Amino acid sequence: MPDANAVQWLQSLNALTGGLFLLVTFGLVSLRQIHGCLRLFVAQSILLATSAFLLGALYHTWHLTVVGVVDLVTKVVITPWVLRRLLHDEVQTRREITQVLNIPTALLLALALAITAYLLASPLVALGGGAAIGVNLPIGLAGLLIGGLTAAVRREAVPLFLGLLAMENSSFFAGIGVAPEMPLIAEVSIAFDVLILVFVVGLLTRAMHEHIGTTEVGALTALTEEQAP
Amino acid sequence: MSVVLVPLLPLAAALLSLLPLGRRFAPSVTVAAAAAALALGAGDALRVAVARRLIVIAGWVELDGSGALLLLLVTFVSATAALFSWGYVARHEADARRVRLYCAHFNLFTFALALVPVLAEPALVWIAVELTAVFSVLLVAFDNTRGALEAAWKYIALMFMGAAIALLGFFVLFWAQQMAGGGHYSWDGLRAVAPRLPPVLVMAAFLLILVGFGTKVGFVPMHTWLPDAHSQAPSPVCALLSGVKTTSALYCILRLVPLLPPASVGAWMRGVGLISAGVAAFLLLQVRDYKRLFAFSTVEHMGIIFVAAGLGGPRGMAGAMLQMVSHSVTKSFCFLAAGAALLVLGTREIASVRGLLRTSPATGAALLLGALAIGGAPPFAVFLSEFSIFRAGLEQGRYLVTALLAIAITVAFFGILLHVNRMVFGVPLETPSPARAALPATCLLTLVLAALPILVLGVYQPAWLDALSNLAAATLAPLAPASLP
Amino acid sequence: MFNRILFNLVQVATVLIFAPLVAGVLGRLEENVQSKRGPSIFQPYRDIWKLFHKDEVVSDQSSWIFRFTPYLVFVTPVFVTLLIPVLTGYPLFFAFMGDMLGGGFVLSLGGFFATLAAVDTANPYGPVGASRTRMVGFLAEPVFMIVFFTVSFVAGSTIPYIVQQRWVTPPANFFAPSHVLLMVAFFMLILAECGRLPVDNPGGHFELAMIDESKSLEYSGRGMALVKWGGHMKVFVLLCIFLNVLVAPWGLAREQTLAAVLLAIPLVLLKLLACVLVLVVIESSLAKLRLFRIAEFLGAAFVTSVAAMITRLFAF
Repeated sequence: MPDANAVQWLQSLNALTGGLFLLVTFGLVSLRQIHGCLRLFVAQSILLATSAFLLGALYHTWHLTVVGVVDLVTKVVITPWVLRRLLHDEVQTRREITQVLNIPTALLLALALAITAYLLASPLVALGGGAAIGVNLPIGLAGLLIGGLTAAVRREAVPLFLGLLAMENSSFFAGIGVAPEMPLIAEVSIAFDVLILVFVVGLLTRAMHEHIGTTEVGALTALTEEQAP
Repeated sequence: MSVVLVPLLPLAAALLSLLPLGRRFAPSVTVAAAAAALALGAGDALRVAVARRLIVIAGWVELDGSGALLLLLVTFVSATAALFSWGYVARHEADARRVRLYCAHFNLFTFALALVPVLAEPALVWIAVELTAVFSVLLVAFDNTRGALEAAWKYIALMFMGAAIALLGFFVLFWAQQMAGGGHYSWDGLRAVAPRLPPVLVMAAFLLILVGFGTKVGFVPMHTWLPDAHSQAPSPVCALLSGVKTTSALYCILRLVPLLPPASVGAWMRGVGLISAGVAAFLLLQVRDYKRLFAFSTVEHMGIIFVAAGLGGPRGMAGAMLQMVSHSVTKSFCFLAAGAALLVLGTREIASVRGLLRTSPATGAALLLGALAIGGAPPFAVFLSEFSIFRAGLEQGRYLVTALLAIAITVAFFGILLHVNRMVFGVPLETPSPARAALPATCLLTLVLAALPILVLGVYQPAWLDALSNLAAATLAPLAPASLP
Repeated sequence: MFNRILFNLVQVATVLIFAPLVAGVLGRLEENVQSKRGPSIFQPYRDIWKLFHKDEVVSDQSSWIFRFTPYLVFVTPVFVTLLIPVLTGYPLFFAFMGDMLGGGFVLSLGGFFATLAAVDTANPYGPVGASRTRMVGFLAEPVFMIVFFTVSFVAGSTIPYIVQQRWVTPPANFFAPSHVLLMVAFFMLILAECGRLPVDNPGGHFELAMIDESKSLEYSGRGMALVKWGGHMKVFVLLCIFLNVLVAPWGLAREQTLAAVLLAIPLVLLKLLACVLVLVVIESSLAKLRLFRIAEFLGAAFVTSVAAMITRLFAF
């Protein structure tokens, strides 16, 4: 067991990681540049890995260290590489993106969602189980909700997908707090599963770009029950 | 061992079908793998019906009653869909490379589907369910038209959103188990500590997984991907999506039922189920596309299964299992019939089809049979299972729920027949060329084979299937208080 | 008692003397980053000196407000200096006269009169700048409030001398998420409030694009000198609040001796220099936001500050 002072430092740094994680998630809702969104996603993944390392030291479990490393490899290195590689034009050249809601409104909604997440998490946190849960669970839940909001307000394929990936990141962020002893094979295969997903979505987006000439998925509304005009 | 082979066969077939060995090679490998998997899966199911469970790697790869039932359905629908794909793709695709690609994806999809029931570790099951979505998205987008790409995008976005939410649910579930004293993280390990699980945590996990996997099941209001994907995907893929993919996500939600106090969760399940069944029944009145018609019917049926499971009790859960079986076999048949109609007609518009019975008698008859069977007309399988659900509802004194469910089913029945009648009867608007009107032989064969269980299960239930669904219901029912440790 | 009054005077003198220097260093470094030579770091002193020796022209259409405002703009930062820790880590004579909220109000009194004075003259650019300043101001106001609320939640007080100790006892507190997020939010506020990029371009001379500067277009001579000096002092004071109160009290005098207080001057200037370097990086890497995007910038600051508050309030 690390001494009390080290525990305090680890918890404090983990709390800081959590705060920055929340901040980055807010950024994902509000940033206009696609490339900026990608960078924020990378930052979020780095924060996730940092939290995994800190909690690994705190709980004395090497599981989380491995999870952090796998996260760094898959989300910080490979995912941006795949997205840049498959969607060079999309990621590099599209700058302005039109949103469904204007940015201050989306930010305020995200704020409301974050507060909701804290309220929703409070009965679970009250069960006890350590200070890390009090940080990771509500922030992960908030990230989950805000990621969903991002996916709802974005109209471009790549930022929308990054919002979804942020949801997955947030689930993991909460997960490493509440279930540090999760079987390693499961956690690692989840990471690789996400990798396959990134690849598939990259291919799909490229197919959209090739066949219909746009990646503005918000404009795709042909499939409804209404009579065509 | 054969339990492991069932998912591995399609995986091997996926790799083989990428080999450029002629136009016929990839489809035949696919069909062979699917048929072998069906044989093995049926064998496993029979063995489970006797031995109650098969354990390959304890806590990781196991097959119990509900898993065996799902595995049987998956392998059956995979086999019929693979056989149908042979003729469908041959007619649809000229490019041999795209045929190979289709077969590879198809096999990967069935691999992931077969993985869901045989895995016993919830987090791995999450991965398997997620893989079913990942591997099917390029099949949904296979036509590369504007509509197909739009549908595929909506599909994968909602699937992944649901998966991310459910993932947190599985983490919370693990946490709950740790708080209840640990043990191996598997469906059985969870059941063993069920009475000690903190109710708040299990409820939170249940709600997260209900929302997350409910999206994959297609519960209203998260159903929007379902009609889009089903209208655009190739028909054999629709048969798999509707017949077993939605069902396997539902199976994961039902797996949580034994962990929860029945009183707390039943109301949620009945409510969610009724909303889905009711809304979908009315939505299918206004469709213009016959594949969307069946898609909405899937939403309705998922609702019915969930209501049945929410009624609880051995009879309610057994009704849910029966409904799962009858829905899988019937709905996959419906989509195969719709695929045949699409091959003959070349359009998905209901309004532009008349007199299908005259242009292509086999297709027309299949579509009519499918519509009657899925609507719940006697003497087909769905009629029996819905009847047993009503009986469970009335026995438990849930009159309002039963009445609302009856209204939804009736509305859906009329809705489906209203549209299908217009297509099947009457005078054809235009006569397609005879070459087109003739179905490929394999498609015809598939329709006959797939129709068999619908007809048989409506009048006769084999003893082993009965035993298996009772066993399945028992694995999904809360532990009786007497059997608690 | 005498000591404390003396230290207070030293603090005021520091602000008076070194405020133009900070502005000068900032201007020089920015030019250097752009590969230009740049003016001397003492240029602001020369400007002020020059302006004091020039004649003042006052429109006969303007009222007393126009004449009175420069003195107010000059005096308000000096008042705030009495309330906040510029050099000392312990409370001085007036420390408990007002909290951070009070300091904020005193500063905004100067801003308010500057706005009135801009409207007072018939110059068309004055009211344009005034209304824009008000827009930025009222968007920044809620963020200020949330920041102060959070501070009071964390420290149980808004008296700067009490707040500053809170972040470093124990040292792990420095990395508390509420603290870091507060720093970020307040720094964004300083950018908006001092008219720096990306909200306003202090180096711009195009009247239509000005926000802060157009308010003082009508001033000349001594009035202009006072307004300029007051502006420099406002930046200095805000940076002091940021660095000494919200970041950490490192480098401030602990002992109550004149030597310790005098030693604190270079240390505080060093901290300011570090902050100025950050400002330079920001100013040379960001473009000015379009006017209506400023709402988004301050919205981001608002969200950051609320995030700071909720991570604090719901900390379990």
